Amino acid sequence: MFGSLDISTSALVAQRTRMNVIAANMANMNSIEDADGNYSPFRRRIAVFASGDPSRGSDWGVHVSEILLDATPFRKVREAGSPYADAGGYVEYPNIDPTMEQINALEASRAYEANITAAEATKAMIQASLRLLA
Amino acid sequence: MIADLLETGSIPVLERLVQFTGARHRLITNNIANLSTPYYRPQDLDPDSFQVAMGDAIAHRRRAGGGLALSDTHQLHFRSDGIDARPQSMDSNILFHDQNNRNLERIMQHLAENTLAHNAAIEFLKSEFDLLKTAIRERL
Repeated sequence: MFGSLDISTSALVAQRTRMNVIAANMANMNSIEDADGNYSPFRRRIAVFASGDPSRGSDWGVHVSEILLDATPFRKVREAGSPYADAGGYVEYPNIDPTMEQINALEASRAYEANITAAEATKAMIQASLRLLA
Repeated sequence: MIADLLETGSIPVLERLVQFTGARHRLITNNIANLSTPYYRPQDLDPDSFQVAMGDAIAHRRRAGGGLALSDTHQLHFRSDGIDARPQSMDSNILFHDQNNRNLERIMQHLAENTLAHNAAIEFLKSEFDLLKTAIRERL
């Protein structure tokens, strides 16, 4: 029964990581320079889930197996006066669609809640079992 | 003598039920944890086949006496110290684009039902033990 709490917790960790990735995408929707100030539009990140939890060496639960970079092309915005504009006068902006991120954030937070519910159920079951002793 | 007290009546039945709901709970929480995992197929244990096995075992005990012996099903192998569960993937829902055929509402329903069944079994066990305690104390 205690293993069930580990499973739910692994999912909470994974969903929170996914939420962090989504927040980073949203925050960097218009970032066209990297941390060093060079022209390098932010590429959208995607958290990839896989079942199992290697941090505990278990086949149960879920973990973020990798954080992928989205290979879709950057959004082109016409800014002829920008020092970063190409020959046609276009500047590349991150390939991030805020609607998409909103939907994913919603799904992540609902999945988080579902796992909280499962953890509450596990706690109720453990509590009931422990009452047998006392 | 103590063993006889604990291995007759409803105590072994409730014990098996708690073992089953415990094993199933683990699977259900795992299904919830993997709600958005690509290629994951939710797994479950069939409560109906458990109940059929339990019903048969109780009927057999009534007829022939002795302990409660459940016969194995293809998902459940009953050991003296617990249940060896071999869960199966459920193919009850459409496949989503991420190759996961989750059915969120059904999973949450199973979670609620399983928790209630577990807690009910525990309550019944507790009242069985309270009865024994009363008998041992020899006063009400």
